[in-house]
Amino acid sequence: MTAVLHAEWIKLRSLRSTYLTLAVAVVLGAGLGFLDTSSVAHHWATMSAADRAAFDPVGDSFTGLVFAQLAFGVLGVLTISSEYGTGMIRTTLTAVPRRGRLLAAKALVVGAVALVAGELFAFGTFLLGQVMLASAHLDVALTSPGVLRAVSSAGLYLGVVALVGCGAGALLRHTAGGVAVMFGVIFLAWPAARALESWSYLPDKLILSNAADVLGQVHALAVKPRLPSLGLAYFDLLLYLAVALGLGAWRVSRDS
Amino acid sequence: MIEAQQLTKRYGSTVAIDRLSFQVRPGRVTGLLGPNGAGKSTAIRMVLGLDTPTSGRALVGGSPYRGLPHPLREVGALLDAGAVHGGLRAGQHLAWLAASNKLPRARVAEVLGRTGLDAVAGRRIRGFSLGMRQRLGIAAALLGDPPILIFDEPVNGLDPEGIAWIRGLARALAAEGRTVLVSSHLMSEMALTADHLLVIGKGRLLADAGLDELVGPAAGATLEDAYLRLTREAVEYRSAGVDR
Repeated sequence: MTAVLHAEWIKLRSLRSTYLTLAVAVVLGAGLGFLDTSSVAHHWATMSAADRAAFDPVGDSFTGLVFAQLAFGVLGVLTISSEYGTGMIRTTLTAVPRRGRLLAAKALVVGAVALVAGELFAFGTFLLGQVMLASAHLDVALTSPGVLRAVSSAGLYLGVVALVGCGAGALLRHTAGGVAVMFGVIFLAWPAARALESWSYLPDKLILSNAADVLGQVHALAVKPRLPSLGLAYFDLLLYLAVALGLGAWRVSRDS
Repeated sequence: MIEAQQLTKRYGSTVAIDRLSFQVRPGRVTGLLGPNGAGKSTAIRMVLGLDTPTSGRALVGGSPYRGLPHPLREVGALLDAGAVHGGLRAGQHLAWLAASNKLPRARVAEVLGRTGLDAVAGRRIRGFSLGMRQRLGIAAALLGDPPILIFDEPVNGLDPEGIAWIRGLARALAAEGRTVLVSSHLMSEMALTADHLLVIGKGRLLADAGLDELVGPAAGATLEDAYLRLTREAVEYRSAGVDR
């Protein structure tokens, strides 16, 4: 297994797409967080009471997370779909004929890289946001209640999204298809769940992006019945991981 | 040794490989011949564990491919030249293959040298000509110094010098006592490269014979004559079978 991990690590670090997707995540993600927090700091004096109440010093740093997560998802998709797209999967499977082991190695490598990159992104974005907010004395410290948990969970979430992408790539064996699925999971599931609210809040509570919102802020959440509880948000991450990687493992075990 | 035992592959109602049994022995070059769609590539894919047989089995060195702990040390395979990621550099491609089977890193430089790719090791495969890609595929096949080699259409896209090089390489590998299986539909090339021939048509074994049994004074035919006779009979046999 360590040999397969090593091989997958060489592939991932050798491909330009790895650096490109992570650079896009940083530029869009951190950039938008920077703009949002500097805007809040600038306009705080004239903001309405409702806007002030909705402000979350951690959550507002992560405004760009919604874009960063798509880049992380694409990174995950590409680890497998690019092999099918180029035909390299045939070479890979002759070198590593045990398919379950291959998918496990791919998931571990891209998951670890995405987790580390995601945590760096989260802490970097948070600290940048606090520097902006400090000018209006709105900043919080990492040691404030719930802050460390929220920031590290935002990084964890990015790692999970990359793994969900890895599962989607394995399931569809196609880059555009896998990216479309990630787009749907991250962006389109939310309005779909909203449309069902008159019947049930349950879909809202199972939406990945809602879980991300809950995990990446420190606000009291009881006032928002449509969002999952903190515990349920962590469960959502596990659920998406299990479904995506389970479907991916099923498909990888089948002949191409 | 490569062995197929009643190997069968069906896709729905289509039979791609029909109870194919053969042995590919060490110390000689065995040619796998057949028209397009005869099942050459499907048979090779099953030997390499890429496709699962509907029934029967394929063994390499006595084991099913998927059970080999370090398959690149047992079997080296050249599939089509497209089975690489264009974004990787040649050296990186060989490096991950070596890592996946715990082969010493020094093997990468050795096979790059043997295939004449040293100068382009740092270039991305995307920019390679078809001939360079074939050489890279050969380099990958040689990486684990395997006793069994399978080359699927190795001379595709190669210039005359490259074709002569592959021929010499296949013969040298067989002379070292390795098992060498080469598929092709180029008769003239096969007549020069192979010692032994497996001819398949419509998924069935049509001939399993030495080159001298099919060609030359005794057989009174060129390899092309022998091949066309064999494969024509296969088509007629199949038609009769369907009508019955």
